Amino acid sequence: MNWILTILTFLPLVGVVAIALMKQPEDGSGDDNIKYVAIATSAATFVVSLLALFRFDATNPALQMVDRVDWIPSWGISYFLGVDGLSILMVMLTTFISLVAIIGSWSAIKDQLKLYYGFMLLLEAGMLGVFLAQDLFLFYIFWEFTLIPMYFLIGIWGSSRRVYASIKFFLYTMAGSLLMLVAILYMGITNGTFSTPDLIAGREAFAHAQNILFIAFFVAFAIKVPVFPFHSWLPDAHTEAPTAGSIILAGVLLKMGTYAIMRFNLPLFPEASYHYAPLIAVLAIIGIIYGAILSFAQKDMKRLVAYSSISHLGFVVLGIFALNDAGIQGAILQGFNHGISTGALFFVVGLLYERSHTRVMAEYGGVWRVMPVFSAMSLIIVLSSMGLPGLNGFVGEFTILLGSIGAESLAPRPWIYTAFATTGVILAAIYLLWFFQRIFMGPPVTETVKGLAPLKRREMGILIAFLLFIFWIGVAPAGYFHLMDSTVSALVNDISRAALALTP
Amino acid sequence: MNTFSLAPLIIYLPLAGLLFNALFGWRIVDADREVGERVTGWVATLMVVGAFIVSVTLFLSLVSNGFSAWFVPMFKWIVIPSANFEVNWTLQIDTLSVTMMLVVSGVGSLIHIYALGYMKGDMDYSRFFVYFNLFIFFMLILVSGSSYLMMFVGWEGVGLCSYLLISFWWYRLDKEGKTANATAGRKAMVMNRIGDFGVLIAMFLLFWTFGTLDYKPIFDGAVKMFEANQMVQFGGMSLPLPTVLTAVTLLFLLGVTGKSAQIPLYTWLPDAMAGPTPVSALIHAATMVTAGVYLLVRSDVLYEIVRQSGALLLGLISTPDLVAWVGALTAFFAGLIAFSQNDIKKVLAYSTVSQLGFMVAAAGMGAYVAAMFHLITHAFFKALLFLGSGSVIHGMEHGHHEISHGHDGHGEDDGFDPQDMRYMGGLRHKMRVTYVTYLIGALALAGIFPLAGFWSKDEILLHAQTHQTPIFIILALAAMGTAFYVGRQLIMVFFGQPRHAAAEHAHESPALMTRPLVVLAGLTVLGGLLNVPYLSAAAAERAGMHAKGFWLALEQWVAPSIPALELAEEGVLHLPHTPISVSYAVAGLSMLLAVGGLALAYLIYRGRPKTYDEPDRLSRTPIWWWSILPLNSLHMKILVPGFNRMAAWLAFKFDGEFWSDFLHDRVLRDTFVSFADFSSDVLDSQGVDGLVNGSATVVRRLSGLLRLTQTGYVRTYALAVFLGAVGLLVYFLLAAG
Amino acid sequence: MPSVVDINWYIALSGILFVIGVLGVLLRRNAIIVFMSIELMLNSANLLFVAFARHLGSLHGQVLVFFVITVAAAEVAVGLALIVAIFRTKKSINIDEINILKG
Repeated sequence: MNWILTILTFLPLVGVVAIALMKQPEDGSGDDNIKYVAIATSAATFVVSLLALFRFDATNPALQMVDRVDWIPSWGISYFLGVDGLSILMVMLTTFISLVAIIGSWSAIKDQLKLYYGFMLLLEAGMLGVFLAQDLFLFYIFWEFTLIPMYFLIGIWGSSRRVYASIKFFLYTMAGSLLMLVAILYMGITNGTFSTPDLIAGREAFAHAQNILFIAFFVAFAIKVPVFPFHSWLPDAHTEAPTAGSIILAGVLLKMGTYAIMRFNLPLFPEASYHYAPLIAVLAIIGIIYGAILSFAQKDMKRLVAYSSISHLGFVVLGIFALNDAGIQGAILQGFNHGISTGALFFVVGLLYERSHTRVMAEYGGVWRVMPVFSAMSLIIVLSSMGLPGLNGFVGEFTILLGSIGAESLAPRPWIYTAFATTGVILAAIYLLWFFQRIFMGPPVTETVKGLAPLKRREMGILIAFLLFIFWIGVAPAGYFHLMDSTVSALVNDISRAALALTP
Repeated sequence: MNTFSLAPLIIYLPLAGLLFNALFGWRIVDADREVGERVTGWVATLMVVGAFIVSVTLFLSLVSNGFSAWFVPMFKWIVIPSANFEVNWTLQIDTLSVTMMLVVSGVGSLIHIYALGYMKGDMDYSRFFVYFNLFIFFMLILVSGSSYLMMFVGWEGVGLCSYLLISFWWYRLDKEGKTANATAGRKAMVMNRIGDFGVLIAMFLLFWTFGTLDYKPIFDGAVKMFEANQMVQFGGMSLPLPTVLTAVTLLFLLGVTGKSAQIPLYTWLPDAMAGPTPVSALIHAATMVTAGVYLLVRSDVLYEIVRQSGALLLGLISTPDLVAWVGALTAFFAGLIAFSQNDIKKVLAYSTVSQLGFMVAAAGMGAYVAAMFHLITHAFFKALLFLGSGSVIHGMEHGHHEISHGHDGHGEDDGFDPQDMRYMGGLRHKMRVTYVTYLIGALALAGIFPLAGFWSKDEILLHAQTHQTPIFIILALAAMGTAFYVGRQLIMVFFGQPRHAAAEHAHESPALMTRPLVVLAGLTVLGGLLNVPYLSAAAAERAGMHAKGFWLALEQWVAPSIPALELAEEGVLHLPHTPISVSYAVAGLSMLLAVGGLALAYLIYRGRPKTYDEPDRLSRTPIWWWSILPLNSLHMKILVPGFNRMAAWLAFKFDGEFWSDFLHDRVLRDTFVSFADFSSDVLDSQGVDGLVNGSATVVRRLSGLLRLTQTGYVRTYALAVFLGAVGLLVYFLLAAG
Repeated sequence: MPSVVDINWYIALSGILFVIGVLGVLLRRNAIIVFMSIELMLNSANLLFVAFARHLGSLHGQVLVFFVITVAAAEVAVGLALIVAIFRTKKSINIDEINILKG
């Protein structure tokens, strides 16, 4: 019996209960205690995830630390948690980003603290559940569950158009998952089980309907990623969300989409994956270019970063549908990288916003003169997002593009896809440097900029934590690839064998 | 333990310097300006000097090792076992990389020393040296890496430093109030990225073709596959090797045009002059821009295989020939553009583009040694020229400073620009050291015997004359153009009379700045010895002389790192090789052209312009119009605004108004809302509610009837019970009956 | 020797008593009297039980009478308590005035 994943998933809920039971005096004297409890809970969760990482055996491609109990046996539904090379990095990312986001909200959130930190922890539990659940029914519950805290986080603590954004976010993602629910029920009832490994073993049973099922799953996940043309909710949600919300949204929630594609779409419907790979790759590449160009035109810095996410996630989706080892491993790592880099970018933007209360880039300029250390750190973060070699972004992008040019799934001319996708590298330089120039360079003109307060120690600590990952992955990513190598290799072998069996 | 294991130090030393300055340097400067500048500046400089010493050690080790390459692994980098991908941080110490290291760290040290004086008193003194060390760090990674991927790290890294240093004075606004320096830096980075796009894709192709990105296995594999006529198979494709290599070499050429500022991507380099002058000298003349040439020389085997196979690009031209043509045309046109420049640094910038064209053309023609030779001598004399121009600018600024404080009433300050040659003149009397050293550099650039530039340019011309006559003609014309603009610049800056009060009051720069000039001038004079035909063992052998003691000429030294040469000897490849030698005809011709160009400049510009606002003597000739070739305008006036407009349209019209506002909000949301309204007002209130409410009404009416029976009188109920009982009784009796 | 009374007389007597009881319940307004009338009806039934028990030679009827007496006693206790409670609030035990359950 293995409890560690269950503890990991539900530990944040302990914090939720504790916060619910705490008193919040009117004079704000209890505020700090609430924050400490929230931080302690997420820190403890992070530690548990580290324990799980140490117990993780990277050479074993199968699910590990499995915790499985029958739940509704008559329908074949079970409580089934497990972790493998596809998800271990995502779990680490979730606990890390949640911790950072919670610490980062220290001074940004001033009202309804109990509710706020409660939702943050709920969200953390939900996200961990998504990455750990190996039963489709359980997965679906966690998947939908994450919507609720996020909805409130945007809707209550967001900026001016928060209600519009939160409803758009909720409806968009909800609409997608309904299709998936139908598909899940169909498969579950056909096979009498909802557990993913069992379904994969018995995928012949629904092979005749796999194109439709694939689309139902893919649309749900593509909305989350978001893949062009389902991206419309993202800029609004990002722009209106509070800083920590944006960090989690970009850092983790979007990765749920790409992770789920790898976890479910590829092994459950291998032939369909091959069949639709070129189409999806085209969408991904449109996303890369489109997101980058739009990002360049933005006047609002949060929107700029939001659109850049669409571009970056395009790379991830392209990597997945290269359907080979390099592509998928690059996609996983790039998912992690994007969490770090874009999370950090949102944090940078949040710091500026907290100080000057505007997101319009034209009102900045010359921040470098006022906050030199912060600016230097921001520069590194921007460069990491740009994919400068030696920093994290490059390793992921490089591996993805390397995979895509040799992708059998994109035959006969995979290099065309790669060539178009690689233009994203040029465009990233265009919009990110323009962003950097507008905010940090030039003489400090406005009084607001001249009066920007220097970095606090807490903020500095968070930035340094981000930078450590940025350099670490950039210079020595071998360990990260090692974590996922065996699982991805098994997955790739499995789906290519299945797809080969189909072709005469 | 051998001296090769010191190699990582060349990377770690600049890294240590930059970390020190990034973490502490600015605090020390803030605390005490005088001491702080000395500490930060010298820490940075000594680290580069240290790297130079290590490079010399490596050089000596290679010499004692018989020139054979040595690999120094450091640690794992990207390793993906299932994809068979493995690239590690490994240094390749061979004669080519050590040559580059010596140039980079040697010239780098001198420019660091110069910068100590030049940057004195700058607001961001420590930041400057952080960037400078960072540049040396990346440049040394670029030249010492053992794989294309590692080279690419340096390749992009130096691009980053270029960006940072061009936009170093990002807080300065131009006349229109725009952050022009920052924009120039951004332009350089983006243009470079366009080139990097090519290098990236070339690397992908190389990996899928050869399964590795390390130089040596790629070259060995390429030769083996070429000899076996093997097909390249990946991603559902099956292609002949020369086709793949044509693509690879073409993409590399794209990278080269970005990094080494060739047509069509050269436009960033003139703008890059916005950075401080030491930056122009180090990055945009001596080292970074030559990275493209290094790439070409490194990839010699790939180019030679393409040349050998006869694979043509679109059936027109083979990629090595294309490289040669791009180089030659750039050499010619950039030289032409230099005619019309009035900014002292812009002249040098276009001159750099032009000289890089010579190197690229040489590499494209297969004259790899000559390309390297010109790279080295150019590093000497162009660094010298840039530093000299920095000294001139420094002197002009001080002269201007003096008049605006010393004398009042000089109304001619409006529009004064310390870099504009039209305001100079007669400086040879004011700045003796600068003048003499500049003259040496300029004559070397023009290709005057016996300075370094003469020898290296002559090698290139000789090779071109032997193998590709059209390119020879273009390059010869470019060489003459070079001499012409050099002469024009010398006359405008140092000769004639001062045309502005600032020039009258200019005086010599401090020793910290002039000493590096003297050293570089010495190198410029002697640089030709590196590869003088008479000192080469091979040449001596050919001439039947005793070879001993002559083995250090560049040709022998670099050859082991250019596998194509060896393969040519083995007969695998037919390299259009020209062993170093002197053809008196070519040498005489190139001298004639150089002297002719200088003489022409003298004839046209003697004593001109008389005043700073006199129009240029060539400004009414067609040459002038040719020379302001509109590629830059195409870029700045059409491409950039076009992209901006497209981005704005996509963002606000398409994605904003159409996709989000119209499609989502109007069409989807409003349709849904009106459907919901219809449902709630019509369907629901009259349909569903009608049913529900109707049944309730029926029940209410019925129950109203029934409730009449409830009188509340016990007696009534009792009667009912009684009647009921009687009724039951009657029923049973009848039923029984 | 005891003269045997024919069973029909008992039936007739019981019927008369029952009819008196019914009429009392239906016609009288005093709650106590209504109550007594109910008792009368119960006892008419008792009489019939006993008579048939004797006539058929079975003890079942006599056992049932005991149950009826017990139930009647309980009924009296509850009923009288109710009447007292009603009297306390309404100062009357006239059943025509007790009609608040009217629908």
